[in-house]
Amino acid sequence: MGRNTIRIGPLVLAGVIALGLPLAVRSVTYLHILVLLYLYAYLTTSWNLVGGFAGVLPLGHSAFVGIGAYTSTVLSLQYGISPWIGMMIGGILAAIVGVIIGLPTFKMRGAYFALATIAFAEGIRVMVENIDNLGPIRLNGPRGLQIPPLNTGLLNFMFATKEPYYYIILFMLAGVLLLTYAISRSKLGHYLVAGGEEPEAAMALGVNVARAKLIAMAMSSFLTAFAGTFWAQFTLYIHPKSVMSLDISFEIAFIALIGGRGSIAGPVLGALLLRPVTDFSRIYFGGKLPGLHLIIFGVVLILVMIYQPRGLQEPLTRAYRSVTKKLFGHTEAA
Amino acid sequence: MQYILEDVINGILMGSIYGLAALGLTVIFGVLKVINFAHGSLLMVGMYVAYWAVILTGLHPYLALVIVVPVMFLFGYFLQDIVIKPIFKAEKAVREPITVIIVTTGVWYILDNLSLLVFGPQYRNLQDNPLRGKMLEVGGMLLSVPRLWGFFAALLTALAIYLFFQKTRTGRAIRATSIDREAASLQGINQYKVYNVAVGIGTAAAGIAGVSLVPFYNIFPSVGVLFDIKCFIIVVLGGLGSIAGALLGGMIIGVIEYVGTQFMAATWTEAIVYGLFLVFLFLKPSGLFGVKYEW
Amino acid sequence: MRERSICWKAYVCVLAFAFVCSMAFLADRPALAQPKVVKVGNILPLSGPSASVGQQNKNSQDMAIEEINAAGGIKSLGGAKIVMFYADSESKPDKGVAEAERLINTEKVNVLTGCWNSAVTYPTTAVSERYGIPFIVPVSVADKITDQGFKTVFRIAAKDSWWTRDQFVFLSDLQKEFSKKVSTLAFVYENGDWGKGFASGWNKLAEQGGYKVVMDEPYPSTATDMSPLVQKIKRANPDILLLVSNAADAILITNTMAEYMVKPKAIIASGGGHADPSFLKAAGKNARYIFDIVEWETDVNKPGAKEANEKFKSKYGYNLAGESVDGYIAMYVMADALERAKSLDPKAIRDALAKTKLAKGPGMIVGYDAVEFDATGQNKYAALVMVQINDIGKGMERITVWPKGARRAGYKPVFPSP
Repeated sequence: MGRNTIRIGPLVLAGVIALGLPLAVRSVTYLHILVLLYLYAYLTTSWNLVGGFAGVLPLGHSAFVGIGAYTSTVLSLQYGISPWIGMMIGGILAAIVGVIIGLPTFKMRGAYFALATIAFAEGIRVMVENIDNLGPIRLNGPRGLQIPPLNTGLLNFMFATKEPYYYIILFMLAGVLLLTYAISRSKLGHYLVAGGEEPEAAMALGVNVARAKLIAMAMSSFLTAFAGTFWAQFTLYIHPKSVMSLDISFEIAFIALIGGRGSIAGPVLGALLLRPVTDFSRIYFGGKLPGLHLIIFGVVLILVMIYQPRGLQEPLTRAYRSVTKKLFGHTEAA
Repeated sequence: MQYILEDVINGILMGSIYGLAALGLTVIFGVLKVINFAHGSLLMVGMYVAYWAVILTGLHPYLALVIVVPVMFLFGYFLQDIVIKPIFKAEKAVREPITVIIVTTGVWYILDNLSLLVFGPQYRNLQDNPLRGKMLEVGGMLLSVPRLWGFFAALLTALAIYLFFQKTRTGRAIRATSIDREAASLQGINQYKVYNVAVGIGTAAAGIAGVSLVPFYNIFPSVGVLFDIKCFIIVVLGGLGSIAGALLGGMIIGVIEYVGTQFMAATWTEAIVYGLFLVFLFLKPSGLFGVKYEW
Repeated sequence: MRERSICWKAYVCVLAFAFVCSMAFLADRPALAQPKVVKVGNILPLSGPSASVGQQNKNSQDMAIEEINAAGGIKSLGGAKIVMFYADSESKPDKGVAEAERLINTEKVNVLTGCWNSAVTYPTTAVSERYGIPFIVPVSVADKITDQGFKTVFRIAAKDSWWTRDQFVFLSDLQKEFSKKVSTLAFVYENGDWGKGFASGWNKLAEQGGYKVVMDEPYPSTATDMSPLVQKIKRANPDILLLVSNAADAILITNTMAEYMVKPKAIIASGGGHADPSFLKAAGKNARYIFDIVEWETDVNKPGAKEANEKFKSKYGYNLAGESVDGYIAMYVMADALERAKSLDPKAIRDALAKTKLAKGPGMIVGYDAVEFDATGQNKYAALVMVQINDIGKGMERITVWPKGARRAGYKPVFPSP
């Protein structure tokens, strides 16, 4: 087995499985769970651009989800603009806000940065919650906006079944993974990593660390906003607590951290593992022992962080390597 | 406008209780350099411990401190020892292990939902405690007596912790470790034991805050969440690790809430507090009294 | 960015593979083929900030189901027993939607009910409408839930515009009865869907009634201190204070008002938190003379009401409240519809529900006369009663005072508050 086959082969296999899953999985509930899983994998991979590569811990990404969701929803409800266009506009808006947030906060380290992002996200949420009408724009404050499931079709980003949503989010996920891969191999990627680990050394070498981080933040927030639009079109109802809450920011960050931030597949891995844990423990325990699923989630978080602080992708990589070594005599790397 | 004095004083009183709640956080934050997201849950635990202590013994809430403080200290001590220490050990070289944030969040989820399972979701109250509903009338102003008690509790606790850090051997060891844990351990200080004690103290402070809240507040599993973010804001405002800063920060927030609400909807004072938080983060990140924290 | 190697693709696919295998095993287990069972999905907030009321609803509905099953189940379906599948919404709309999807598609429930929080009920009913599964809404009051034009939604409680309307009718009746006029009103309400909905209704009614609104203030339900708000109320000095609160803030506001000696002529609450049993326990004497509008009260003059309450109290330790009663009769309405539908076909059940004319029976312990749904699915007879909290010798209790016909014998409401 050549090295390239070991490289490309699994990827092709994963792609085929992913494309074919909806044909095998007939249960609507499981499709729903899968869609949400891919959505979170998408969110965490986008987050990874800042949180993983740039080495900081942003805990306010829910603001971008909210910006994306509200922009496309308001534009489509009030002005009849297609959600796809609204998605782009929302992304641009989010990128601008992301840069505004990033400018002052990137100077801070560690805990302070995290707290600042929380403050921004919560501040934005509180404002949206209190504003019913921003000039001519109806935001409806805490009552949120409902999208009537009327015109289905690709142009309107609205479908009666789950399958189209599945493929759209799969496509988005593949796209963002490819982007991450491309960045990791590019100059920007190296600047970010250097800036994250040894900022002084990087700057001494002439790397404009601040600019690299801002670019990463802009990209990350742009992409995160897309997820907001997707969410709005998938669940058909948004309000500040559902698209802008701190819970979402935390969940994204934790999935990435558990999977292994800074690696390309870490976030996806984290989502693959944690989302089912959350969903299934809520399904099996939620009705009988309320709150038990959150206890389980907390325990999983703690255990993983104690035993595998770099994320689960590390032991899995090693395991995979030893397997391929045994099977084919060498791994795909050197 | 004539009410401003009354509002400011009441704001200071309630604010000092916020400060007391944040005191534990600033100690833990200042020493261990980690964000402890479980702090609100520790406060909740403190309130439940205080509640049960009073119900079971019939003591005056502040007398129940005799039970609450040791229990909370031990709780914090072992929480650090069992759950958080392994991470510090694993990440020796890292100055601020970020993974501790996740672990403390896990602790938060576990504590809040465990108490939901065990105690149930209902709101509890210390109905007939001697402090309930008592008001002091001073020159036409009404001041809340339980909050006044809280004010003095906050001052005394702050003083006690300050003296502890300045005068006792362990206190100095903690301060040394917070400045540079490698250097301190070279001096023979067991950094893990230091951390345990620090978290113990922080948790005990949360317990005292709980005692000052139970005479007039509701007790329920998610009560900690309400105070959590507020405590972080106070700690940043006042300065990481600064005891005086925590109290002052709390009072500032209290005054904003009390005075601000007279001029605008209470929901907007929330936004103002966040705004102030951000302003401080950018302009003076070390807070009012914080030690200059190198970036 | 440690291992930049390509093997990530490999184990991503390994995991995907494992996932697919597990799906194949778990996916869509055929519903246990037992025609002798009616499956009901119940989405409630069992954890999170509304856990207390979610639990109360669960208890009252459990009690109803137990009674129905013990009496022989659904006779027209051969004595089929009702089985409840509970799901936790955590008060989050997306979780409610996900659970609805799961209950309909995996558990194959025949009827859905829930979700207490209007924000959760609203999108969740859209899900059941898509699948044609009948959805009985016991409690959520937001007008828009039945205004969406859905055919499968049936609501037991009154719409919030009826609540606000009745509060103002009561107010004018009160003024007539005591020959005292009030002119200034203060609106204080929780900053959510529910509170804001009431506030907009109040503002319109105040304008119609010629009242002066001296304060219109939303507040965050999760505020840590109500003193500033209470001070503001005191200084605005309204004749009447109207409140919309959840339990925790209701308790805090009431106690704080007592501390600061804020005494408007009357306080009119809107159920919800004020009707929660823990409110009365926690606020005690401070809650005296508060008027509260609810669907039901323990002293309602209907056969079976007292017995049902006693039974509930002995089982769970606290009284039934308006909302838990809505849950209780929702189950009886459902059982009645099932009997008439004679089948588990969703359309048949839905049509049977639409024709409901339930006036008698063990479930009908509400103050009004019958449950009948209009074309939008709203229970047209849902009526409300106003109670006053007072101590007439047996401890603090809630006493029905309005409409006059429902008033507890021998009690005269106290107005204005002394």
